[in-house]
Amino acid sequence: MRNTVSDGPRTTLTAFYWAFILYLLLPLTLMMAMSFKDANFVAFPIGDWTLDWYAKVMQDKQFLEACLYSIMIAAASTLAATTLGTWIAMLIVADGIRGRTIIFALACLPAVVPGMISAISLRIFISTIDMPTGTAAIILGHTVHAVPFVVVMALTRLRSMPRNLVDAARDLGADGVVAFFRVTLPYLGPALLGGMIFCVLLSIDDFVRTFFLGGYRPTLPMLIFAKVQGGMSPEINAMATIVLVVTAAVGLYAEFITRRARTR
Amino acid sequence: MEPVVQFDNVNKSYGKHVAVDNLNLSIEPGKFVTLLGPSGCGKSTSLRMLGGFETPTSGRIMLSGKDVTRVPPNKRNVNIVFQDYALFPHMSVAKNIAFGLELKGFDNQRIHRRVSELLELVQLQDYATRLPAELSGGQRQRVALMRALAPDPDVLLLDEPLSALDAKLRQQMQIELKAIQEKTGKTFMFVTHDQEEALTMSDTIVVMNKGRIEQMGDPNTLYGRPGSVFVANFIGETNLLRSTVISSEGDVAALNWNGITITANPGGLTPRHGEHLYVVLRPEAIHCSAAEPVSGNRVKGKIRQRVFKGNHTSLMVEVGGGALLNTLVHPSDVAQLGGEDIWLGWKPETTTVIPDRHAHN
Amino acid sequence: MVNSNTIAGDAAGRGASIPKYSTGIARIVNSAIYRHTLGAAVESRIGRVILLAGVPLIWLVMLHIGPIYQMLKISLLSHYPVQPGVESHFTLDNYAIFFRESLYFTPLIKSFIFATAATAATLVVVYPVAYYVAKIVKPEGRSKALLLLLVPFWAGELIRTFSVIMLLANRGAVNVLLREIGLIDRPIPMLYTSFSLGFGLVYLICLYMLLPLYSAIEKIPGQYLDAAADLGAGPFTRFRRIILPLSKDGIVSGCSLVFLTCIGVFATPMLLGGPNTVMFPETISGFFHGASDKWPVGAAFALIMLVTALIAAGIFMRLVGGKKGSAI
Repeated sequence: MRNTVSDGPRTTLTAFYWAFILYLLLPLTLMMAMSFKDANFVAFPIGDWTLDWYAKVMQDKQFLEACLYSIMIAAASTLAATTLGTWIAMLIVADGIRGRTIIFALACLPAVVPGMISAISLRIFISTIDMPTGTAAIILGHTVHAVPFVVVMALTRLRSMPRNLVDAARDLGADGVVAFFRVTLPYLGPALLGGMIFCVLLSIDDFVRTFFLGGYRPTLPMLIFAKVQGGMSPEINAMATIVLVVTAAVGLYAEFITRRARTR
Repeated sequence: MEPVVQFDNVNKSYGKHVAVDNLNLSIEPGKFVTLLGPSGCGKSTSLRMLGGFETPTSGRIMLSGKDVTRVPPNKRNVNIVFQDYALFPHMSVAKNIAFGLELKGFDNQRIHRRVSELLELVQLQDYATRLPAELSGGQRQRVALMRALAPDPDVLLLDEPLSALDAKLRQQMQIELKAIQEKTGKTFMFVTHDQEEALTMSDTIVVMNKGRIEQMGDPNTLYGRPGSVFVANFIGETNLLRSTVISSEGDVAALNWNGITITANPGGLTPRHGEHLYVVLRPEAIHCSAAEPVSGNRVKGKIRQRVFKGNHTSLMVEVGGGALLNTLVHPSDVAQLGGEDIWLGWKPETTTVIPDRHAHN
Repeated sequence: MVNSNTIAGDAAGRGASIPKYSTGIARIVNSAIYRHTLGAAVESRIGRVILLAGVPLIWLVMLHIGPIYQMLKISLLSHYPVQPGVESHFTLDNYAIFFRESLYFTPLIKSFIFATAATAATLVVVYPVAYYVAKIVKPEGRSKALLLLLVPFWAGELIRTFSVIMLLANRGAVNVLLREIGLIDRPIPMLYTSFSLGFGLVYLICLYMLLPLYSAIEKIPGQYLDAAADLGAGPFTRFRRIILPLSKDGIVSGCSLVFLTCIGVFATPMLLGGPNTVMFPETISGFFHGASDKWPVGAAFALIMLVTALIAAGIFMRLVGGKKGSAI
């Protein structure tokens, strides 16, 4: 390869890659920079710098509450999605299961349906079962959204699992339940942890499902959305920056975990 | 002595395919028993049925006098050493070995004692905290063996456990395995397709073919007195001489093989004139010389091929009628043969006679 | 039995710290409550099947099919939620409305055009990047090069959309920069136009294109390119005859994924689009957040959108000729 791609295209592609990185990072960098602007309107140039907006955000009860609310919803939906997703994956790889492909397709369905339609169908669904909009509905929606990703991640790992590990556990006296918790689950461990963090990020980022299923308590994206529609202020930038830094750190950690799991 | 394992008319079929065909087998305690056969002969299926991972289509499996035909694997007192060891990758060596003990409800102290004891047995004391990924192939093999031995099973099942090792390590492990079996006094049931492995370690070899037992016996008997063409071919190298009976009286039968008259001991058979027989002639039973031997069977031949194999040289000798005999000589003796034209001789009692009907298997 | 006389004493003497084994497992498994519940269940065949398949199947049927089914059902009703005193009956009217009024028809067409254009743009922009990371970056640097591309995607849909505003607003970075260097006197209105929406969409979704493309291109063995070069193929020929056909699977999955995501994007048009860029999801949303008796129409429209989007993606897959079902 080193010989076949001559220097001309190579340089062009390298330049293109870095231009693309710039394209990806520039808006976010500008957004973060704006959070330090010492004025109560959003405009370039920045001029004077300040940390006041951060102080303000950290004292903003609404923001802190939205943070907690989002984290609570993310935790609950992640827990549910991980459990269900792993369970479904176990069913798909089980011996002698008919209709494996259909179950798999069904499990992936929510990932293929555009988010907007998924949100509407869930809104209709909860109303047909007389479930009110609000926390429980949001958690349900986020769980539905996250399950396919867990299924795929768990399946990938399960398929790489030597099948006689479970046989060995059974042979040594473990019944199916013990074998699952002592052998299969630890084997899945790293993949599931990566998947869980992914679920958390999905939930915290989600806007459209929350928009249709939520009640009056805003989650983080809802709060930011409302504030953006209400008018620009560096306060929103500070808020978004905090969220961005935290989620990016979590994402980076997830990447690290899954990578380590893959090399094991 | 009461058999520790007993298969009574056990059948196993998958759809139309018959994997195990009316298996009857009983195994005495404390023995090293090997199920030997080509792949697909039903040996692994038999082992998995005994382990509880397959249920017989019909028949009964007894373990220490109890019917275990439908008992799940976790409820029967046998343990398997799997082909690729199946060590739990997330557990240390000690935890792997302790797995079965934990489920038996032993207390911490007792588990620790037993684990240490077993690690000591295979000199892996210093590796207790290692993960399986940090061990060599041979070490993993030993850990797998100890893990299966830990819960003190009635029978230890070994499913081609040496096949993943390289040739040298395999030979070393064969000796070690046999030593451990003797030291522990456990019944080992070993499955392999490698006849050399079987001959090295076993007290009893069960040769299987197409789901049936072809022959069962100690290694000497199987090698020296194979009961069928299949066994003769599968165990060791062999020359099969298809002959016609000229006459037979008591221990001596005169046979016609390719126009040459040879004699053999028909064993328990009473062959009649004109009947076909196979004479099993092992290469090492043939004596090569430049001069005609004075007694025994002898035939003149021409060396067609020599293959140097280190401790011996294998000769392909063409005798009358285009038939080839495989024989071996000590490398230093090759020179004494003179030229390409040599005499081959063997004593009638070194051969075994197999009736022809078995040949159609 | 392992002969243990010498060994046990030895081990006890050395074992200053005894490792902790999971002795609790046996206690749980042997407890009456376990034996009569889970333990009994896994003993029997039926119990095992129920334990394994029960919850997953209920979940899949209830929540993966249920919502779509309910949506279909309601789209065929004249009224929902049913008010007291109103009779709800079966009707196809909700679907007919869509074809009668261009007010509804146009946003869907617009959504499709937008999604198609955004998909094409993303493919063109992202392909060289994916190729660069998969084939030009040395293997040991690949994960870092990839990671750098992933960073912005941890920011989430809304924050990324918001950050585009910083770039494109009248007093945003681009306009201010252009004015500083004297190219313009008055800011170019870029925000709340089709341009800002397109720009934002591409920004939002390029990851969905990047990952499938990357994994498809990475799988192409380098020797193929060497062989082609050896046979005298120039860079362009190599790309057209080897890389492009072999990365087809990646293109198909990437494009389908991006297209389906674009169609369903909701917040971005609301923040970046203007009055001229009302997309179909916003139209549908109106039926749910406005007067509630329009739910059946909203459900019908959502289904129209889902079906047309899936058909479009299906036709695309068939045309480009990837394997069936290789998309997601």
